[in-house]
Amino acid sequence: MRRLTLILLLIVAAPARAEDLVSGISQDVIQITSNYTGTSIVVFGAIERPLGSDGRDIVVVVRGPGTDMTVRRRDHIAGVWVNADAAKLVGMPAYYYMASTKPLDEIAPAADLTRYGIGVEHLTPQQIASHHDPKPFQEAALRHLEREGLYTEAPGSIDFLSESLFRTRVPVPAGVARGQYNVEVYLFRGGQVVSAQSTPLFIDQTGLERRLFNFAHNSPLIYGLAAVAMSILLGWISSVLFRRPA
Amino acid sequence: MEIYLPVAEMSVHWMVIIGLGVTVGFVSGMFGIGGGFLLTPLLVFYGIPSTVAVGTTLSHVTAASVSGALAQWRRRAIDFAMAGVMLVGGLMGTAFGVWLFAIMRRQGQMDLIVSVTYVLLLGSVGTIMLRESLSSLRAARSGETPRVRTVNRVWMAGLPFKMRFRQSRLYISVLPPMGIGFTIGMLGAIMGIGGGFIMIPAMIYLLRMPTNVVVGTSMTQIMTITAITTLLQATNNYAVDIVLGGLLIIGGVIGAQLGVRVAGKLRGEQLRLLLAIVVLTVCAGLLWGLVARPADVYSLSMGMP
Repeated sequence: MRRLTLILLLIVAAPARAEDLVSGISQDVIQITSNYTGTSIVVFGAIERPLGSDGRDIVVVVRGPGTDMTVRRRDHIAGVWVNADAAKLVGMPAYYYMASTKPLDEIAPAADLTRYGIGVEHLTPQQIASHHDPKPFQEAALRHLEREGLYTEAPGSIDFLSESLFRTRVPVPAGVARGQYNVEVYLFRGGQVVSAQSTPLFIDQTGLERRLFNFAHNSPLIYGLAAVAMSILLGWISSVLFRRPA
Repeated sequence: MEIYLPVAEMSVHWMVIIGLGVTVGFVSGMFGIGGGFLLTPLLVFYGIPSTVAVGTTLSHVTAASVSGALAQWRRRAIDFAMAGVMLVGGLMGTAFGVWLFAIMRRQGQMDLIVSVTYVLLLGSVGTIMLRESLSSLRAARSGETPRVRTVNRVWMAGLPFKMRFRQSRLYISVLPPMGIGFTIGMLGAIMGIGGGFIMIPAMIYLLRMPTNVVVGTSMTQIMTITAITTLLQATNNYAVDIVLGGLLIIGGVIGAQLGVRVAGKLRGEQLRLLLAIVVLTVCAGLLWGLVARPADVYSLSMGMP
């Protein structure tokens, strides 16, 4: 929430500083259809005063909808690996992608990056429920998410097409959560955020998939009956088709 | 071609799913079982969330047992009284299992309990079948008639609520079949299995039912229980994926026919030996997962635990 306020403030304050950042995305709705195997979007933009005396850096962050994550640790108890301890991380983005013009530690100090939630290691959950030190659990969660391709950092992956035009491609893998995503573009000068823009991106199921999902969740009883009917019907058809003399 | 599963919310390759269906259908057609005990672990291994794997396997087992039960019904090989009594126990077991499922999920010990139960169950059933089929094979080779071992039935004779089961030619207490039904209903709710591979030996060795009605009766009971459990899983856990289920069933139907053909060429004890090997292999794989050091001792689950 604080981050959002900051972004809003910056957007409002931007014209006053004569520091114009304009950005857009190639599509603002991604529809998951029956043959969806992942796609990518292009985030592009322009900065008005291309090269100042203190350089310029662009950071693009794509944040998925907030979700809760449970991290469990297994211990070796009586010869068997058993879930022994757990921590719950509340309000973590389900997807996170960061692209920048150069490595983050060369762009801004860690405290600023944490304030804006830029960079996987600077992400903090809204709340942590844990009996013990949550640090190893948090690290394990990030490790898993990076391995599964849900959290990605791509420093140096923003292309400048001219002095002022930039572009980067953000992958949207097949297994991403549905919901509202935010595409944030930050302009840094001399280690400071001088301008930022946030654009929503919606990822949702569509067509038959959408209807089936809604059907399963809105009228589960009828859906369940339909599933059972399908099983009985297919079972019956197969017994008739392959009927053999007893 | 990839297909997006609306409830599991993930993309799968339809060939892989049909292939899984064919494989499991082959095993079930060959041995006259539902094959749920193979399908659930295979689906989880492929990356389907375990709740959806359990729920959808149940719909697959329903279809397989409807098909099997109809074939047996045409041969008049179903003891409906026995199936009914087991069903009463089975419904209580299912309700208990669904309740247990929720508690274990809250404790975060779901996977452990499911794995341990699988290992114990598959290990013991597999070992019994292996020993029995090996001794039958040995007896057949030396030309003796295989001696059928009788289980001590004295404890059963003393139980109340006796009932006549005409088709099975039995006059026994309803408690043991209800107990078997209860156990299998409970396991079915937790593990997404029909339980044929436990129920058939239990009917033969514990209840001493005649073999010709065992398969039909167990399929009738499994068909009813899995249909009800599918419904419960769909309404309580939103765990049934109709697209995944449909693909599995189509593959399963084809596989089952192949399995039945192959089974016709083999003798009973050879079949049981093969099934014992399949069961023990699955068991060994699950046991390895329990005792081997995991690549990462931390695991992550998204959304609700």
